[in-house]
Amino acid sequence: MFSSVIRKILKNSQNAAKYTAITPHLRNLRGQRTNQNEVDVFRPPDIPTKQNDKETEPVSQKTSTAEVALDFGKREAHVPSFNLAAYVNNSNTLQQFISLGVDLHSIEKRKGLGEFVLKLDFEKNVKPHITFLVDQGISPDDFGRMFTKNPLLFKEDLEDLQTRVEYLKSKRFSDEARQRIFTHNPYWLMFSTRRVDRRLGYFQKEFRLSGHDLRLLATREPNVITYNMEHLRKSVFTLKEEMGFNAKELSALVVRKPRLMMISPDDLVERFSYIHQDMGLSHAQIVQCPELLASREFRLRERHEFLKLLGRAQYDPQKDLYISPKTIVEGNNFYFVRNVAKSDLETFDLFLKTR
Amino acid sequence: MALTKVYDAATVFKHLGGILNVYKPAGMKVNHVRNAILSNICKGLNEMEQREPRKLKEERPLLGTGTAADTVLHNIADQTDLSDHVLSTGPRYLPRDLKCSTVSNLGDHTSGVLLFGINKGTGQSSSIRRNRPVRVYHITGRLGSATESHLPDSRVTMRSNHRHVSADRISGLAASMQASHQRKMFELCGVDLQTQEAYELACRGLLRPADDSQPVVYGIKLIQFERPHFTLEVHAINETQEYLAALVHDMALELRTVAHCSQLRCVRHAHFDVRDSLLRHAWHLPGIIKNLRQQRDILRAHPQLLRQQRVELQATQ
Repeated sequence: MFSSVIRKILKNSQNAAKYTAITPHLRNLRGQRTNQNEVDVFRPPDIPTKQNDKETEPVSQKTSTAEVALDFGKREAHVPSFNLAAYVNNSNTLQQFISLGVDLHSIEKRKGLGEFVLKLDFEKNVKPHITFLVDQGISPDDFGRMFTKNPLLFKEDLEDLQTRVEYLKSKRFSDEARQRIFTHNPYWLMFSTRRVDRRLGYFQKEFRLSGHDLRLLATREPNVITYNMEHLRKSVFTLKEEMGFNAKELSALVVRKPRLMMISPDDLVERFSYIHQDMGLSHAQIVQCPELLASREFRLRERHEFLKLLGRAQYDPQKDLYISPKTIVEGNNFYFVRNVAKSDLETFDLFLKTR
Repeated sequence: MALTKVYDAATVFKHLGGILNVYKPAGMKVNHVRNAILSNICKGLNEMEQREPRKLKEERPLLGTGTAADTVLHNIADQTDLSDHVLSTGPRYLPRDLKCSTVSNLGDHTSGVLLFGINKGTGQSSSIRRNRPVRVYHITGRLGSATESHLPDSRVTMRSNHRHVSADRISGLAASMQASHQRKMFELCGVDLQTQEAYELACRGLLRPADDSQPVVYGIKLIQFERPHFTLEVHAINETQEYLAALVHDMALELRTVAHCSQLRCVRHAHFDVRDSLLRHAWHLPGIIKNLRQQRDILRAHPQLLRQQRVELQATQ
């Protein structure tokens, strides 16, 4: 809408002289837009009863502070603020969150979440969900990370959550698998059973996976199931059409390293072309060690070229002095230089400084 | 000078400053290198011991409903200000808390020595920049094909034979180019090469340009020839990646063939050598601190890097 306004203004102006007149105007408009973003102030939820009947209409800053000023019990709690830290000393919920290890700072950066968290009541909204998660066997150590990632979990109905767990049970996901899924992907429980079912169906059909393989894929990288569908389609296209893996290789690759589907397709193609063309590995060999595709290109490049310099870049298992491609991307540089290249770190550093 | 182990982030932050010598990989933008360095510093600092959250003020009025079960009251009795907790304020050190400036800019395809001034070093970095020290490059050219931007990643525009090119001919050409560049400097100063004035000017040191508008080359030397690749060592001031690539292209045209630049590497920037530059796998807080200390020693050994009498490119009347 805003851009259409600019476009209209620009259309009206024909000559350069008019442009100069418009720029301050534009700047003004732009300033207004940024201001709107900035004045995204959290408003504390537990305003005393006096204000409850008014809460539907937006209360201006002045009146709220004036009225609250009389109630000096919780006066500080009603001053508008840009972050959650201002309310921590007065809010029981936020204090409980901190003791759970939830990073309020990263929550408040995301739009709307700060306000949502502020409106939660620990006893009413949070506790039942925590007991539910404990019942699912999730360790309390993971709570902080989970709630930091997805505080909206508290919005979901407990019965819905139970249904979603039952769905996974009916699909014969084991207890450990479910625990892993919920801790590694806090968004999973937000997805309705129908949606998760559709996603799992997509993977099963696309790669012709057996039930066991599908469960393995979902447990290994739970994030892939709830990832952006558009992106997933693009990377599957890249893997299948651009790189030319056939159906069987593709399913093996995806089950071994589901994370490949979450990497940006451009990077993936770049890595693949280096592995396939410069290192000379066949598709079958790449399927054998999908870690190669998951490692960044510069890492592959410097390690392969170092091996080539030493005359040890020999990836054919039929011949002598075979080096498994898997070991190239394993471990840190020290491990690689000592155990794979059988050289020392000074030589490697000198080599890196010649390129 | 005894070294002690430090676990406290504030102490480290206080002493974090000076010139940093980083090995920039080819194909990475200077800004990416800068962001990576700064975020790694902050990551390192945030993993160290932090200060405790503040205490609340004593004479604070009691808040809350006043019932015994009120956790708010308990916390106030505790006197810790939870709003200052790391989880509510966010990490203590952010990349924007650090000041950082580059001494000179390297192009995307150039690798090698890249100097950063960090915190207190920003002043030093600008005085090094103002002194315009010489940079030394190793440039590898590839004979036989010319590309549009003279760099390897663009389209090939010409191909040609290079059997007639030998190491002698390249070094002969390099020497004559060096001589003509040197003569150009004196001519721009407005002095004849065969005069006493020119001699005195040359005695005062390297003749350097007054501003950064014009690239000046002081030496070109062939250091390796391995057909089709040849490597030149170029000493220059105010050069850019495009200028050096064009230099290789022009040299090849003089040799009746074509070439493009396959690798550009800055091996020395003033006294800062590639040997003590920091490689990508050492871009963490301990490595950075160690490197800052090394560069400080170099600066101490060569104070003229920061202050020196300047010989400038200007007409002497």
